[in-house]
Amino acid sequence: MKLGKDELQKLVLGGLLLIGVVYSYFDLLLFPLLARQEAATKSTVALGPEIDNAQAQIKKTQDLEKRAPELTLVLTQVNAMIPEGSPVAWFPTRTADFFKRQGIEKVTTRLNSETVEKELPGFRRLAWGVDLPKVDFADFGSALCILENEELLLEVNSIQIDASRDDPQTQHALLTVRNFVKQ
Amino acid sequence: MALHLNLFHEIQTTRQLQRRDPLKLSIYGLSAIAACFAGYYVFQFGRMHTINTELNRVQSQFSALEPKAKAAKKREEEINVEIKKSDLMAKRIENRFYWAPVLEQIAQSVPREVQITRLAGDLSGEGLRKCSLTVDGISAGSDPRQVAEDVRTAIAEKIGAKYKNVTSNFKTLEDGTELVVLDGKQMPTATFAINVQLTAGEDAAPPPPPRRKR
Repeated sequence: MKLGKDELQKLVLGGLLLIGVVYSYFDLLLFPLLARQEAATKSTVALGPEIDNAQAQIKKTQDLEKRAPELTLVLTQVNAMIPEGSPVAWFPTRTADFFKRQGIEKVTTRLNSETVEKELPGFRRLAWGVDLPKVDFADFGSALCILENEELLLEVNSIQIDASRDDPQTQHALLTVRNFVKQ
Repeated sequence: MALHLNLFHEIQTTRQLQRRDPLKLSIYGLSAIAACFAGYYVFQFGRMHTINTELNRVQSQFSALEPKAKAAKKREEEINVEIKKSDLMAKRIENRFYWAPVLEQIAQSVPREVQITRLAGDLSGEGLRKCSLTVDGISAGSDPRQVAEDVRTAIAEKIGAKYKNVTSNFKTLEDGTELVVLDGKQMPTATFAINVQLTAGEDAAPPPPPRRKR
């Protein structure tokens, strides 16, 4: 079978058209679609671990939230131990009342200095001078023992006991104490 | 044998030729391929739609979870700060230095021949607490210096049993000018000042070792 010139032209034209159509199909339709598919699949896959992480984070926080009251019990107790209001108003009275209960009548408490606690935000430490002009050493010792056991937020920083020349049975005690108060 | 004449042979040949026209056959073939391509495209398009639906579902799920996760992270940090604060506070409370036992041990170390005239103590440091004590007094007896020495060693022994790095030294030890009456006898005196050093509590965690340089 012999092809005529006209038919050959048609075949060449058809071939060119076919190449163009195939090229357009792949380049303009199929490949972009596959690329979009791949990108969407990647995004879906990538979001999977992020969703897992987010869910794990929420779960972790919920568990921690449940355990938080137990883990921060000390802090809650400490906050409950500190009275509201200015420490200058309550601390000297509290100290005087305490020593009165221990049989030591004369107590003078004054504020010496104040330190901000960098490691414990929300708290500061106040240094006080507690002057006990007339104490018996043994009574003072037992009072100090009770004070150290009762007042958990208080620490005696320095202590000075002088024997009185006039009355050998009594001593003059001076304490420097530091206690935690709310900021 | 009858003679058959086919008067349509030319028409039949033309038709046969038309049926075998390569252009026509090519068009059929190409149409089939085009149909396959279109079918494949439609299939992929449908798949794309499924993937997009899944992506949208996952994205909306993530969009809903992300703010919650961020809030949870923030809350976790807040709780951790509170826990850290609580632990530190507990540590501070537990690591307090108690003076009452020290005073008790000093009182137990002092015999009746000795009178303490002054006792001063000072505390320094946060983790490892260093305590410095000065005990001033008068000792009486036939050998008042020995009595003072006995007090010094007794204090060191008593306190050393409970605290670390205890040292007890005389700052001063001098013969007194006064005489005292003890058990009906006049006794010479000596004045002394004993310096006691001790440590309590725990060392802070050591700093990490420096990195080796390559």
